[in-house]
Parts: sequence; structure tokens; C-alpha cells
Amino acid sequence: MNGLLHATRRHFFSDCGLGVGKMALAGLLARDALAAEGPRAVTGPLAPKPPHFPAKAKAVIQLFMAGAPSQLELFDHKPKLAEIEGKPIPPEVIGGQRYAFIRPDAAVLGPQFKFARHGQSGAEISEMLPWLAGVVDEIAIVRSCRTDQFNHAPAQIFMNCGFGQPGRPSLGSWVTYGLGSESDELPAFVVMSTGGGISGGSANWSSGFLPSMHTGTRFRNAGDPILNVGQPDGADGRLAADTLGVVGALNRTRLAADGDPEIATRIASYEMAHRLQTSAPELMDLSQETPETLALYGCTPAEASFARACLLARRLVERGVRFVTIYHEGWDGHSDVAGNVRGNCEKTDRASAALVTDLRRRGMLDSTLVVWGGEFGRTPMVEASAVLGRSKGRDHHPNAFSMWLAGGGIRPGVTHGATDELGFHVASDEVHVHDLQATVLHCLGLDHERLTFRHAGRDFRLTDVHGRVVNAILS
Amino acid sequence: MITTCRLLVPAVALFAVVAAVGLARAEGPDFGREVRPILANRCFKCHGPDDGTRAGGLRLDRRDDALAEADSGNRAIVPGHTDDSEFVARINSVDADVVMPPPHTKAELTADEKRILTAWIAAGAPYAEHWAFGKPARPAVPKVADSAGAAAPENPIDFFVRDRLAREGLRPGVEADRATLCRRVHLDLVGLPPTPAELDAFVADTSPDAYEKLVDRLLASPRYGERWARRWLDLARYADTNGYEKDRERRIWPYRDWVIRALNDDMPFDDFTRRQIAGDLLPGDTADDIVATGFHRNTMINEEGGIDPLEFRYLAMVDRVSTTGVTWLGLTTGCAQCHNHKYDPLTQADYYGLFACLDNADEPEWVIPDAEQTKAVAEATTRLEAAWNELPAKWPHVPAAEGQPAPVPLEERFAGWEREEAAKAIDWQVVTPQSWQTSMPHLKVRDDGSILASGDVTKSDRYEIVLPPSDLPVQAIRLEVLPDPSLPAHGPGMAWYEGPKGDFFLSELEITAGGARVAVAAASDSFNGTAAFSGGKSTASLALDGDMSSGWSTNGDQGRPHAAVFTFAEPVAPGTPITVVMKFERHYACPLGCFRLSVTGTGGAEARGLTASEEAALRKPTAERTEEETKALRRRFLAAAPELAEPMKEIRGLEAQLRGGPTTLVLKERPADNPRKTFLRHRGEYTQVRQEIAPAVPAFLPGLPAGTPANRLALAEWLVSGSHPLTARVTVNRQWQAFFGRGIVPTLEDFGFQGTPPSHPDLLDWLAVTFVEDLHWSLKKLHRLIVTSATYRQDSAANAEQLAADPANILLARGPRVRLEAEQIRDGLLRAAGLLSEKMYGPGVRPPQPAGVTETAYGGGAWEPSPGEDRHRRSLYTFQKRTAPFAFVTTFDGPSGDSCLARRDVSNSALQALTLMNDPMFVEVARALGAAALASHGDDAVRLDDLGRRVLSRPFAADERETLLGFLRVQRERLAAGELDAAKLGGDGAGDQIDRAAWMLVARAVMNLDETVVKR
Repeated sequence: MNGLLHATRRHFFSDCGLGVGKMALAGLLARDALAAEGPRAVTGPLAPKPPHFPAKAKAVIQLFMAGAPSQLELFDHKPKLAEIEGKPIPPEVIGGQRYAFIRPDAAVLGPQFKFARHGQSGAEISEMLPWLAGVVDEIAIVRSCRTDQFNHAPAQIFMNCGFGQPGRPSLGSWVTYGLGSESDELPAFVVMSTGGGISGGSANWSSGFLPSMHTGTRFRNAGDPILNVGQPDGADGRLAADTLGVVGALNRTRLAADGDPEIATRIASYEMAHRLQTSAPELMDLSQETPETLALYGCTPAEASFARACLLARRLVERGVRFVTIYHEGWDGHSDVAGNVRGNCEKTDRASAALVTDLRRRGMLDSTLVVWGGEFGRTPMVEASAVLGRSKGRDHHPNAFSMWLAGGGIRPGVTHGATDELGFHVASDEVHVHDLQATVLHCLGLDHERLTFRHAGRDFRLTDVHGRVVNAILS
Repeated sequence: MITTCRLLVPAVALFAVVAAVGLARAEGPDFGREVRPILANRCFKCHGPDDGTRAGGLRLDRRDDALAEADSGNRAIVPGHTDDSEFVARINSVDADVVMPPPHTKAELTADEKRILTAWIAAGAPYAEHWAFGKPARPAVPKVADSAGAAAPENPIDFFVRDRLAREGLRPGVEADRATLCRRVHLDLVGLPPTPAELDAFVADTSPDAYEKLVDRLLASPRYGERWARRWLDLARYADTNGYEKDRERRIWPYRDWVIRALNDDMPFDDFTRRQIAGDLLPGDTADDIVATGFHRNTMINEEGGIDPLEFRYLAMVDRVSTTGVTWLGLTTGCAQCHNHKYDPLTQADYYGLFACLDNADEPEWVIPDAEQTKAVAEATTRLEAAWNELPAKWPHVPAAEGQPAPVPLEERFAGWEREEAAKAIDWQVVTPQSWQTSMPHLKVRDDGSILASGDVTKSDRYEIVLPPSDLPVQAIRLEVLPDPSLPAHGPGMAWYEGPKGDFFLSELEITAGGARVAVAAASDSFNGTAAFSGGKSTASLALDGDMSSGWSTNGDQGRPHAAVFTFAEPVAPGTPITVVMKFERHYACPLGCFRLSVTGTGGAEARGLTASEEAALRKPTAERTEEETKALRRRFLAAAPELAEPMKEIRGLEAQLRGGPTTLVLKERPADNPRKTFLRHRGEYTQVRQEIAPAVPAFLPGLPAGTPANRLALAEWLVSGSHPLTARVTVNRQWQAFFGRGIVPTLEDFGFQGTPPSHPDLLDWLAVTFVEDLHWSLKKLHRLIVTSATYRQDSAANAEQLAADPANILLARGPRVRLEAEQIRDGLLRAAGLLSEKMYGPGVRPPQPAGVTETAYGGGAWEPSPGEDRHRRSLYTFQKRTAPFAFVTTFDGPSGDSCLARRDVSNSALQALTLMNDPMFVEVARALGAAALASHGDDAVRLDDLGRRVLSRPFAADERETLLGFLRVQRERLAAGELDAAKLGGDGAGDQIDRAAWMLVARAVMNLDETVVKR
């Protein structure tokens, strides 16, 4: 059987023209050569590709605060709102902005928490983020984000895909399309989720019109982390190996007979599946982490939590995973925004900061970009409704919100951009969602204008025809 | 019996062939195939059809313009004179300020592209009509090429294919062996592999037309419609949920079933098109024709709190235009939503013209008046009348319990009720408004003074209604809210998404008389609804409190009339016109859909649980009441009597049943008095409304027949007129792709300048003309034509030379070898294991899938597997949830239903391997398949062959058999030794547990072979 395969491989290697299968087969050969030398090179369509220019970051961890956190309770301190609490915002400020729930003439609601300056950078953040305050000199805060969408599903999809409707590739998909994968044991793009269900659904990690291998792979909170990675009850490791063996042997026979290079790709995909079955449990085994590390994140290994997801994200990136998104849904504070922010910060603040700390002390922060934020901001005006029984909440606000970034390529300790005194509009250094996307790609060595894919008669890109790299937050 | 017939093609000029596939050399480069794609891709953005962004006065998509002087005074192109052509100088310049395209566009030309463009100008810069935009003429069928060593040609397809092969120096292949062919044509026509019995019957049938008979049998099978419906549903973006955040269930599977039936009936494609685009406009439209309009109701509906419903309707319309473009025109329209198309001659005005053709429709949830429903309505109506008539007899005669007083007789109670109610009855005068205006809905006053709203709604609607002066001193005003079958859930409100259907929410009611605000002293209502999303009470008085977030609603009693009465602090003097302003505002649109206003000069009015006519009747002496009035009053009393509460439940149930019925989502053309206007949107943005646009078809394509009103029906007729250059080409090409894995035009969705030109242009045109003129749009006949060609029947194995010459099998010197679609894989394995249910139609079913697939969906939404045979229905019946699609389908590149999909990706991934190995659904299949093989009479080798024939339609070859039997032996030993758990692996069943488990493992291995998931 081996001889036959070898003959076939040689044949392909020397004679073949094009095709994914052929690349995979060439990869198999390359792997044979490398087998004795330690780490396997990833092969096939997900083989690592050089960036457009030297990259600062190799991987991204996106902490997606779904539901939209209130920037006015966390990063954008607006004492003026307290002064004029109870009064409406002048109509000329509001312009034609549409809202989901409130009327534009709703009264202003003052900040619900105290703010203070922290670290050498003196960044001003709220008392709800005590852990982040400890690493504030490591991060860049952007207070001048703006989006085009004011409903959750379209805005989440817009933040990920640069377009408000499902059907286009997500950021993580673009990145694996542009750079390939560093791991042949784990998926290149992993998606985790804590909190409630996600408004934008699977469109948020869809590969859109890119080849479907670029779709984010969901890591589940219960059961097998990857769908079907566990064998049927009653099986064991040797059965997996035996089955792979017999399937591989018959597929190689078929390859020799039919000559379709896609068969080689399928053989490779079964080998990858087999490795996943080993690497996934190893990845999930948090007993390898010290109690000190677990405590740093506030992680209880047996419990699915945002903290555990952050720790797993670090372990994924350590193992060569390119892009990890963690969704934490629950920030939609239409009523009692103070309680909402308090509750969500209790769940996320410590682990978010721990991730930065942990990456730093392991020497991974310089090559890992961490991005924290939601799909839009929240209104300076109060949301209250008799019929819905809501009070002291804030509605969706696309005009201005805050995010933070840290690590690979990001200048630490800066606060970028500002909003007007009401926190209603961006007053300086606006960072539109497309600018953020361009900046993330830039940190990875990708030019957002050159990262294109031909579909439906034109070259598409993540940032459509927009996007400027935010140089001011780059190191 | 393993059959890999090799084609021994002499290695003649192989490299020349490779070059020829890419570039056919003649005098100069071919304009359509080589030059225009470069111009379109690199130049048209600034020098193309879009005059909004044209630079330097240079337009390159039309020859006259390209040869004219540009703004600079220079000529870009001087035919035959490259040295005089500024174009040549610019593309070859090394000066960053001069070179074209400019560096900032990041669209640099490659050396090869520069060479082609220069050679084209040197050859005289000829332009040619785009291959797809002229009406196809039927090309002459080429003469028979040399078929030595290959199967004889069967039909004109083969002559076209072999003509091209001959020109490339290639030879056609031999026919695939019968078993392989049997499997291939089964998978293609019915989406399932043959059963071993079907396989044997075909292989044993030595008659010369055995294959044709097989094809005809498959075309007649109900499974055919199921297979081909699935492909059409990809284009139709069919799903069973609304999409976006809430992603609630919708009922549109009657449309899916319509598609299956239409395809099984071989409805001609022109009819198939007309009905789906404009079934409601067809003369003598049937219920089925209207169900068919569900095609364009498969757009998503956003029910997230607080969305602007018209914005998402606009986005749904954008989707409809885009889907129409891809499905029938093979054109990408998306660019022209925002600006004139950069590459194709489609202007922004063309885009909105097409948009306007589709725009003028309402989008109801429609009760299907089929025979079953008609019967059900008749039965319920009869039963309802009977139940009313039986009601008096149910009046209690004996005390409820011993020691309790005897019940008051019915007649005595009724007389008392009547006296009491008559005393309170108020003299109301229905007033017909003299004028009105609204923020959005269209109001129409009917003869009985009621006002019916229709059309679009917003989250903040306002009705201003001016009443004629009354001759009374008006003391109160009554607002009746009335049901109407045209409204969602029969109204009285117009809420149709997010909130409860038929809800309304009267946030504020303001009354002015003679310009002055009228103080309202009190409000009462006959019913105060439960406010949706909070559960609080919504009383009429809340419409007077000045708070827009509180108000009156009758939620909880939709479909039934109610009333609110607003009594004035001071009467309004007779002769003063009264204006009533109603404001409806929630986080979903909820204006009133049907209502009536009355005034009274009597004081102390209150809202009653009586209709207006009942209250009027009460004011008459008993003797003067009509029979109808008497009956109505009696029923009103009976309905309200606590003594009859129990039997009334049946009556209310029947009434509700009559308001409901099985629905589907459809399009209904707007009434002539309320057409929807279409506006151009600047940059495609919903909020940037510009000029009104009339319905029209794109100017660069043939026009509509003179005198035809431009609407959806005209659009549909235009598409299938037979002289349209695109529809037939696009349709036959899509069918071709289904069989060969690649279209003659590989970009199924793009026949424009950016699309890939056809590999066999004459074959494409011949098929298009034949499809329309000879086959009369019959898809079955077209499919028959394709599968009976020798080209289709060729062996698919490729040797090294063939692979090198034509790796993607563009020239078709061999048969198709492509991975199966998700549904074919699952359905085929269910069939192989003997599990497949052949039950057709009906609501989506939920086959088992691992827990947690739907965990990320908003609001969770547990996936409760369907019981019984619904676990094993064909995959097109699987419930399609847009935000968390059935995992297996996603893993194997199936669509989510979010948008129109002409061509699925074909991937190979580790997740696919894990799914077929470990997904509980496939473990279940492996058990059944193993058990089926185990049950065959004979030794392990015989069983193994049975397994092979079930899954691969062939027994195993000797070396394969040896490998698999070795695997079986090892697993048996390990099971016997307890290393593997036979009870868990084998599951319950007859016979020896170890045998069951061992054969399950063998079946599982076979299910994971490459050959299992491909058509070859």
C-alpha cells in the first residue's frame, strides 16, 4: 500500500497542475520529510501564508461583549450628564438619530459610577473595573468608536463582517484566509460563548463566501468542546487509530485508481480529525495549570465561565490557534444599567485583565492582539417605560462607544479619541468599525485593501470601500 | 469488480493543451474572454459605465468612447498603433504619478495582462458583444468527431464536447461500468444511491434501452422532486425561521412542498417562474399560485426589539432584487444598489426600476383556502351555529349543590338583563370622518362608518381624524376597535412582527374641538389587554396620561371587537368640528387596523361589552327589534352569563378556529388606491431617499412589450419570454453544474463581464435554445438529455496525463467526480441502512443532533429530536433554523438560508470526518447498517459485499475485502476481550452482541470512505 501511495505522490508532485487536493498531497509529502524534526508544518489550504508586511501580532483574542456595554459607566466619564440629569438633550445634538426603544427627547441619565485615574498613563476608568485598572498601562482605550447599526444582530454582524446583513466573511475568517493556520491539531478560528445566546447567531463567525473551512469552530461549554470530537461510548483510542488506518488504506487504494487529488485532501482531513481527538482533551485539561494561574483568572476548571474561556483562549493561542472569539452576552442594560454593568463586570473584569497579565508574563502579549468591546454603545439618555416596566436603563447608541485593545502591535497606555461633553457624538479622532477592522488586520501584517476575495463579480474585502488604520494606537 | 478503466491518451502536446485551456491564440487576444475581464477588473471602476466616478473623461467599456479624445486631448486607444495609444504608455509606465491603474488602487496589472492589452490594441482593439447579452441563436451541431476507443456519441451534447476535445487534441472516455453509472444517475436524479435490488435489476437488464428505462423510472419517482427541490431551495433561501436575533419559527413549508410538487409534475420552467414571482397576479390564480409567491417571502424578518420595520423591509427588497438577479439573470445586482455598476452595464436607475417591479406588494401571512381548509371552515361554521342553538338547553335546572337555591330560569334572567342594559344604553351616533391624515398607514372609510387601515406601519404612527360638526352637544366619544380578516390575527391592530399579532397600542388619544383641547374627564373600556412583554394592564385611561410609554391595548382578545369611551369634562358645543388624534407607539409597530368613532349627546356614557348595533337595538322597544337584533342580544346575554361559561368555551374555540387556519407567507399585489412608491436611495442607504423610480427592466436588456403595465407579472413574463438572453442560459447552466460539478459557465451567479466565460459557448447556447424551443422549458426533459449523453456516462477515473491536461475536467474527457451534497450524504446513508422514511411534505422535522448546537442561538431554543420516522426523513424536511443551522448540513457546506446561493462550496474538513465518525445520528446509522449486513445470508465476505453494495453500489475488491475483514477480525477479538464495550457500541438488537458491535464498526468505517461521499 505504501509503495503505491508513494508512486502516486511522486506522480502528483511532479506532474500535477492545480488544485487543493494536490496542495494537500504535497503537504503530506512535506510532512513526511519533517516528521523526524518535531513540529509538523500545517499544510493544505490552511498552510501558513506570509503577511503583506511584517506583522506585530500572530494571533487575536477577541472579547466580544455582546449586548453592548455602557461606555458611560465604564470608560467615558461624563460629569456633565450628572449636572443636567433629568433634562432632554437638545434636538440639534440628536439630529435624525433613530432609537430602538426610547424617544429622542428622553431625559439625560448621569453616570452611575465613580471614575478615577490609574497607572502611569493616568487612564480614567470606572470603579466597576478594578482589575482592569491594574493593567491599564498595558492597554489602549478607544473612546471614539462609532458604528452604522443600532440593532443587536445587524451591529454584531457588522462588527465582525463589516456589513450589517448575514452572508459575508467574519474577521476571524478573513484572518485565517489571509494568514492560514499555525496549528494542524486545532482549528484555526475558535469561537467560545458564555452568558446568553448571541443575537447575530452563527453569521458572526461565518466564512460567508470564503471557502467554508474558514468558518469559526464552536467550542461548546458542555460535553465535547468540539462537536463530535468524542468517540462513541464504548470505543477507545486504539479503535480510533484502527478505523483511521482502514479508512486511510482504502482511500489510498481509491486515490491510486481514480486519481482525484481531492481524495488526498480527504485523507489529510481524517488525519487532522484524529489529531483533534487527542489535542482537544489535552487542551481542555486545566489540571496542567497552576493554582496561581487559575486564581489569577478566577477560574474554576469544572465550570463553564468567561474566566475559563479566557484561560482556554490563552492555551489555544499557545498551541498555534490564529483567532479566538469569546462572546459574553448580557450587556443589554435597557433597565437598571448600573445593575447590569455591575453584574457583567463581576463576571468579566478579572479574567479580561488576567488574560493581559498572563499573556504578558508568558511573553505572548507582544504577538497576541486582545480586543475588548461590544457592538455599539449606550445612550446618554435614560430608558424608562411604563409598559415595559423599565427604569434607569440606557438604550442602544451607535454614535459613540468605547473599546480597548492590547498586545501585538498596540501602543500601551494610550487613551484615544474623545466624545462631546454629553458623550453623544465623537468629538475627535473617530474610529469607525471599519477603521477598527483595518487596524486589527494591520497588526497581523495584513493590508485591509489588499486582503480581497473575488465573489459575485467583484473583489470583496472586510472593510468594503472604507477603513483607515488607526496609527495613533499602534506601537 | 473494481472498475477503473484507464484512458490511454497519447501524451501528445500536453503542454500545448494546458495553454490552450487558458488562452486560445488567434490574431489578437479574444476580447470577450481575455481583454474585457482585465478591463472590467482593473479599469472600469474609474473608466467604466458609472458616470458618477468616471475619471479623465475616458470610458473604456464602449469602443467609440474608448477611441475618442479624453479630457487631456490625448487618445487612449489608437487601433493598431500602440505607440500612439496613451493607454499603452500609461499601463507600462514606471512613474507612480503616471502609471495606470494608479498604485493607490492596489489593482496593478500583471506583466501578462499588460501584454494582452497591448497585443489587443496592436490587433486593432476590436470590441465584441458580451457573450451573454445577446439572444442565443441555435448553433449548428458539429460533425461527429473521431470517437475511436470511446463510447459512441448519444446526442448533440456529445458532438459539442467532442468537437472541443478534438480541437484540444484530447479524446473522449469510455463509458463507466454499469454499477457506477447506476449509482451516479440515481444520486443525480433522485439524490439517493440505488438499493442493492435496484442495482441488480439494472445490471441484469441487457436490453439496449436499459439505461433509458432506468432514467425514465427515476424521473418519474417522487424522490426526483425532493432532490431537485433542495437545489432550488438554496436559491430561494428557504428556511423555517425568520432570521436575525429572535429567529422565530415561521410557517412557509407549504411553499417548499409546492416546489416539490411542481418539480415532480415537471411544471415547465416558464410557468414555474411566473408563479413564484407573480402567482397572485396571474389571471385565474389558484391557491397554489399564491402559495408559490412564497419564493420571495423567504427573506428574513427582523423581530429584534426596536428595529425600524421599513428599514428591514427595504433590506428584504434588496435581497429580492439580488435573488432575482442571481436566479434568473445570472447578474450581480448588488453594486448598482449604491451606484452605477462598475463593471456591468447596470445603472443605479436600472436597479431601482427592477426593485420597483417587485416592490408593490403586501406581505401577508395567508390562510391557504385549499379543499381541506374549505371543508374545515364549513364544518366549524355548522358546528358553531349548532353550538349557539344548543346553548339555552344547557342552562342549569337544578341547584349547583344540595342546600343551594334553585337557579333562576333563563328567561327570567334574560328579561332582567335586558331591562338593566336597556336602561343604560346610550344613543350613539356613528360619525364618518370628513378628512384624515396618517403618518403611514392607508385608511379607507367603509359604508358602516368603520375605518380600515392597510399598507405599511411604523413604530410611531399617528392618525389625525377630523369629524364633521355634530348637531349634538357632544358629551363623549366612543372608539370601537374592530376585527377584520385582512388584519394580522384578524386585528384589531396591525402588529405583525415582534409583538403579538393583531395587537394595537393606543399610547395617547387627544381630542380638540374648534382648535381647543377638549378635557377628557374619564375613560372606560370593555376590555383592557395584557401589555405584551410586561404583563401589566393596558386600560383606556392610560391613553390619557400624557405618557407615551403607557396606553390602551386589547392584547389577549385579538380578533374580537371592543370599545373605549372617553367622556368630556364639558360638552362640545353643537356645530364644532372635532379632531381626534391617536398615537400608537411601542418598540414594535402597532397602529389600529380597524375602528369606528361615535359621539353622543348623553352624559354618563361608559364602554360596554356590547357592539354598537346591539346597544342601538337595546334602545328600541322589544317589539320593534328585528329578528337579527333579538338573536344578537340573546346571544350576547348567553355569552356573558356565568351559568354558561363552560359551554361557551367551545363556541369561543370555534370562533378562534374560524379566524385561523393553516397559513403560509405570500405576496399580494397592493390595491390600486394605495400603490407603494419606490425611491432611489442614495448610496443604497435606506435613510437617503431620492427621486421616485417607476418599475422598469434594465435598459441594456430587451424591453418590456409596449403597452404592458410594468409590474411583477410583466417582470416574470419578460424573464421567460423566450427571447431573453439570460434566463435560459442561466437555467441550463445551473442544471449542467448539478450533473458535472462545474457549470459551462463556472460562475453560476455571474454572467456579466466579471463572470468566467463559458468553456463551451456553442453548447451553452444550443442547450438554451433547445430547452426553450424544443423541450418547452421542461426540466425533466433537459435532465434526460444530459444524463443520456455519452459525455455524462463516461468513466470518471483520471490518469496522470488527463489530470495534467485538464485537472478540473473542464473539457469533459472524463465523467464527473464530485463530493456529494450534505443531503445526499445523509439521505444516502439512511437509505443504505434501511432507515430512510419516504414520508413526504409537512412541517420541518428535527433529526437528532448533538446537544449544544443551538446553545449560542439567542434565547437558546433546545433542539428536541422528532420521534419515530421523522428522525429519518429526507434532509430537505429538516427544520432549518437560520441562526443555528442543523450542524451536519453546515459542516458539509449546506446553506443557512440567509441569502440566495447558486453554488455551494465543496470542502474537505476534519469536522466532516468527526461528524461521520462520531455524530450520534451516524452512530445510529452505522448500527442499522451493520445489522443489515449481518442479516444477509452467508459468511463475513458475503456480508461485507452486501455492505458495499448498500453504500457504494458495488462489492469490495479483493484487496479491500482483505483489509476490511482484517479490521473486522481485530475488532471482534477486542470486543470479545472486553477492550471495547460491545453493549454500548452495538446497542440493542437481535443476535450476538459482539457481532452487532463488530459490524457496526465495519459499517462505520465504510461510511467514512471517500467513495461514500462522492459521486463518481
